[in-house]
Amino acid sequence: MYTATKVAVLVLALVAAGAVTGQAQNNATVNVTAAVQQPVVVLKTNDLDFGLVFPGVNKPVTLGSASAGRFSVTGAAGAGVNLSFAVPTNLTSGLNQLPVTWDASWNQSNAAGGNNFAPSAALTPATLSGTGALFVFVGGTVAPTVTQVAGSYTGTVTMTVTY
Amino acid sequence: MRTSLTICWLVMALAVPVVAQQTSVTGVRPLVFGTVFPGVPSSVLRTDPLNSGQFDLKAHPGGTASLTFLLPAVMTGPAGATLPLVFGGNDAGFSASQSIGSQVAFDPRTSYLATFVGNRASVFLGGTANPSAGQRAGNYTGTITLTVVFF
Repeated sequence: MYTATKVAVLVLALVAAGAVTGQAQNNATVNVTAAVQQPVVVLKTNDLDFGLVFPGVNKPVTLGSASAGRFSVTGAAGAGVNLSFAVPTNLTSGLNQLPVTWDASWNQSNAAGGNNFAPSAALTPATLSGTGALFVFVGGTVAPTVTQVAGSYTGTVTMTVTY
Repeated sequence: MRTSLTICWLVMALAVPVVAQQTSVTGVRPLVFGTVFPGVPSSVLRTDPLNSGQFDLKAHPGGTASLTFLLPAVMTGPAGATLPLVFGGNDAGFSASQSIGSQVAFDPRTSYLATFVGNRASVFLGGTANPSAGQRAGNYTGTITLTVVFF
């Protein structure tokens, strides 16, 4: 009887201990994944050159002209991108200014004909080709006044491309 | 003596089924950011039914459990390149009904004490991947571990 009581007490003690420390720990994992696409790269391939202009005579450069500005873009095949531009309203020669307006187009092949747009700070959506290529053409018109001061006028066009 | 032994066997018979009741946690669905672009952060919501991470839990009805994530700071990609990960205070969710549409949000960066209603529940996880502008292209992976202590 005494031995049996000890056994019962032991069992009860074990059960009680199990109730107090009745924890079960489990672990599980899942993967986290991402596929990073190729960075977008922008290169200038041609400067926009209006050449000689004369006071009072507007001078355009069309998008298909050899003098048009050109950018080459590479990135992830078929990816959508946004084009934005910083363009001046005047070319400058010292303190003298030469008004200019802008045209642009983008194409998946290296040809001026394509999707025309007005380059500006606003985002213009475009799509890279199946090989990840995009070509952007920039033209415009300068409008010298009849009293335009002679000189060499310059400006900078900056194109930013983001996914 | 006979009476004592009988009590002993009864106690053991009652104790065994309690101990044998199963608790478990299972990784069900990976956290998938899919295609991401250099310089462009990409987030997955914990309510995203396709891309959020999911763990399924099995527990005692009415029981409680502490949930603790081991979260990687980065994913690892080609040539050892790393892609930073960020988990916010609202990126994890516990659903006592295993419904992605009915979650209680919690911070996956700290332990969370969950209460079960039935014997099954789910935990969902979102997050943000922050590729740099010069992030190397390729596939990146990491491992998320959920440790559950059932009380």
